[in-house]
Amino acid sequence: MDTATAFQLREPPKLVAGITLIHLVEMVVAGLLMAFVILPAIFDFSLLSAQFWGIYTRFYVTGLFGTFFYVALALPLSVVLGFLMGWARVSRLRIFSWPASLYVNVFRGLPPLILVIFASLFGTSLIPQAILDRFFAGFRRGDIAVGIAAIAIGMHSSAYQAEIFRAGFQSVPKGQVEAAQALGLRSWQRMRHVILPQTFRLSLPPLGNEVAVLIKDTSILAAISGIELVAKSRDLLGILPASGFPIVWIFAVWTVVALTYFVITYTVTRGLRLLERRFHTPGLEGISL
Amino acid sequence: MIRVTDIQKHFGALHVLRGITFEVKKGEAIVIIGPSGSGKSTLLRCINLLVEPDSGQVFIDGVQVNRHGIRHEWVREQVGMVFQSFNLFTHLTAIDNVTLGLIRVKGMSRDKAVEKARVLLARVGLAAKANAYPAELSGGQQQRVAIARALAMDPKAMLFDEPTSALDPEYIREVLDVMTALAREGMTMIVVTHEMGFASNAASRILFMDAGKIVEEGTAEEIFQHPKEERTRAFVSKILR
Repeated sequence: MDTATAFQLREPPKLVAGITLIHLVEMVVAGLLMAFVILPAIFDFSLLSAQFWGIYTRFYVTGLFGTFFYVALALPLSVVLGFLMGWARVSRLRIFSWPASLYVNVFRGLPPLILVIFASLFGTSLIPQAILDRFFAGFRRGDIAVGIAAIAIGMHSSAYQAEIFRAGFQSVPKGQVEAAQALGLRSWQRMRHVILPQTFRLSLPPLGNEVAVLIKDTSILAAISGIELVAKSRDLLGILPASGFPIVWIFAVWTVVALTYFVITYTVTRGLRLLERRFHTPGLEGISL
Repeated sequence: MIRVTDIQKHFGALHVLRGITFEVKKGEAIVIIGPSGSGKSTLLRCINLLVEPDSGQVFIDGVQVNRHGIRHEWVREQVGMVFQSFNLFTHLTAIDNVTLGLIRVKGMSRDKAVEKARVLLARVGLAAKANAYPAELSGGQQQRVAIARALAMDPKAMLFDEPTSALDPEYIREVLDVMTALAREGMTMIVVTHEMGFASNAASRILFMDAGKIVEEGTAEEIFQHPKEERTRAFVSKILR
């Protein structure tokens, strides 16, 4: 079977071609000059200031752990919820499909920032006082609010994931389900051995994309009192003028933050790509991104 | 082996089957022909209960299967089915397509199932393609795997729903050869097809269906050479050109 499609991703130009290699070298040299010669000369500072980086490292590490914590809180929940909602959406039973549809439309339709604000304002009042006292006695109310806001980000993402899984479910040809029926497989066996393996393979590539979005979206928690990378970096930069360091450090700090998000999301999407390869099946390529 | 009495089926306002009665004896190969929309596929599907008849009875080996207390899964184990569009499981290799039912429905061990699947793939001439995925097989090869998959369950009878209609012309032969061999070996078969060659060579009887009814029934010669009914004559003259 011919699997070629009308549009194919073109491979990035090979670096052996002289011209592109020269471009690359030029850019790196220009960047290094800018960072280590020109900017320091103009603003009279050194990017290699051990004192500054020493201070920032403490903020950075706390922030990075915070980011990981919120991702750990939001991501598993979002995948589970997204899968269940996607499954419910394709259900023939209205009591499943209708609420799932409502859920997807509500959470997809609201900006994550608004969700986070609402969650931090009213989130804790949704949890009964008895449960707060019993299980979250050691936590400050503000921290619980941020945790709930992280979950709200997860729910926002789960709405998109639900759509990914729905498309995955709907891509399994009806005839194959019929063939499984004709073999004598029971309803749960058809789900387990025929539908789910294909849904999984078809959903994996777009899912990787959505995971990257979710990781970056945790930075929205900086808008409330979240303790994560963006918030900690901002906190440091807030005390920068008073501490006697030149303002131009703002540039260095945000570059580090940007690079950090890039490295995290790149690593995660690469990892998922490996998983995709591992489960590669001819005829089930899905939508590759 | 298979007996169907006075089957009625509606899809909404559409009256698809209007009182079908016929019997297939053990070892017979029945071919059903008829214009599209005449209810042939629906009739096949009523036999393994992929479609539930509104009224009438379906008997397999003397047991009425369309009644309460009979599990659909049990009925479908008794009769194998081959579809027009093959419907192989895309995520499974040829051999895994064949073993799935053996392992999950028959509860056979993986080793035993693989052994049996190899024998069946060899029988349809695809021993070398055991580890190929459906997307890597031609239409004819896919359909032969589908036949092996159905045969693996040791069915009492086989249903074929236009098994060659979706095939490119060069692959039709290999599928029909497998089916003809099966008929010769005495498999009870009901085949919906317009392959006149197969009907003449392998069919014990031919049923002509039109508008939800069996209009005429007879041997290949009776139906193709000397049709009694006007509708049969009109249809046969169209497909024989």
